[in-house]
Amino acid sequence: MMNTAYNFAFFDEGSKREIRRATLKAIAIPGYQVPFASREMPIGRGWGTGGLQLTLALIGKKDVLKVIDQGSDESVNAVSIKKLVSDTTGVQLTESASEATIIQSRHRIPEVPLKKEQILVLQVPLPEPLRYFEPSEHETKKLHAEKEYSGAWLMLFEQIMKYGSMTTGADHPVMVHDRYVMAPSPIPRFDNHKMDENEALILLGAGREKKVYAVPPFTKIVSLDFEDYPFEGESFEGKCCRLCGSEGVFLDELIDEGTGETYYQCNDTGYCYEVLNKAEKAGVN
Amino acid sequence: MKLDIVHDLQSVYRKLVDSTSRPGLITDLGKEAALLDGENETGCSHSLLLLALTLLDPEVTFKVFSANADRAEKELNQLTFAKTAEADQADYLFILDDAEEGSLEDAIQRANPGTYLNPHKSAVIIAETGAIRDGDHLVLKGPGIQTSTPVNVEMDGNWIRRREEKNKEYPVGVDLIFVDQNNQLLSLPRTTQVTEKRVVMNEWVM
Ligand SMILES: [Zn+2]
Repeated sequence: MMNTAYNFAFFDEGSKREIRRATLKAIAIPGYQVPFASREMPIGRGWGTGGLQLTLALIGKKDVLKVIDQGSDESVNAVSIKKLVSDTTGVQLTESASEATIIQSRHRIPEVPLKKEQILVLQVPLPEPLRYFEPSEHETKKLHAEKEYSGAWLMLFEQIMKYGSMTTGADHPVMVHDRYVMAPSPIPRFDNHKMDENEALILLGAGREKKVYAVPPFTKIVSLDFEDYPFEGESFEGKCCRLCGSEGVFLDELIDEGTGETYYQCNDTGYCYEVLNKAEKAGVN
Repeated sequence: MKLDIVHDLQSVYRKLVDSTSRPGLITDLGKEAALLDGENETGCSHSLLLLALTLLDPEVTFKVFSANADRAEKELNQLTFAKTAEADQADYLFILDDAEEGSLEDAIQRANPGTYLNPHKSAVIIAETGAIRDGDHLVLKGPGIQTSTPVNVEMDGNWIRRREEKNKEYPVGVDLIFVDQNNQLLSLPRTTQVTEKRVVMNEWVM
């Protein structure tokens, strides 16, 4: 049930308006970080307050919300975000990626391809992809203004020199619409290509750094790389999920404590359950 | 007021998000506009007033282009507490359908396009236009659009070329939002390339 002691969607209308204006600007300038006056939230910082603020400014009574944290619907973080939104809006919650109208996520883009009726909100800890080599906000803004990205390339090049490959792990920088270098949030490299020409609107929110940016549907996204060292996502070739048998998805590597054997499981647990349920139904019929 | 400023303006905002993230997608503000019947003293269409209520507050400035601009500005200020500003300073420029001919072009030319450092500090122009509907008079391309999408806007004048000139140094530029008498909404963010399908009068011209 909705708690009527709060405003609908927690915020007063003035706060929503400010976030909404910034979000619309972000959509109009893909990949550009629009500053906004981030609000204090009743959950800890670094717990997705940026994404949460975008979600609260978007959400209406008819929305169906899914929240995932590193692939899981059940983590403490996901549960506390769901509780806040549900307490203040009464909206329906789901674990199904295809049923949701808004998906708020940390560290993953769901395995089920997004549809045009959906909005993906990604939580961002560090929105500035140039921060690794340039500590000053004033300077990074200037670099973006001048489309001066040699530093970003150099950073990747140095990694190759040092480790023989690009070792960015998660949050590998991308070029948006041939204009802005953008931090895709700490999604695995495996998920980067999902942003390219995606069907759904993707909004990214950073609470601590007070930034919102966006990837509209059907926008060109290219992961930064070199001709000699092309960008590659994590590969799970020859491996599959122990529970549902899926291949070609992002897998977590686990170790069976009894046998010491290594096995794999879908990182996107909502996806895994859906595949299992489908298989079960098919088996019954 | 029958309009619920929490839920109905949320709905207007989402349609604005849909239309802006998918330029060429026409959204319908009819349901929300009907709630304003008999309660709109601004001289603006219901749809335009809905957008003003969604976007304006004391943190932003606006200007109205209209034969009765003073009245509209006074009413909008009383409703939203947003202050008015000159065309080259205002965050939102509203062009009503009784504005002088050439007002949209004038607004595009004068509007603040932001800077390379702060392209988000640019104006949004919201204009009442003739009918917005499916058709292939205009062809749109850019982010939000898979290859290209056609649309019709009944709007004479030079606005397409003016807009192109204004937005040629992306990311600086202005964003346009059009609404018509039937509460149809079309959004043209600065990334959208608009080309007019010209009627070829003489196919033999070499
Ligand atoms: Zn699985």
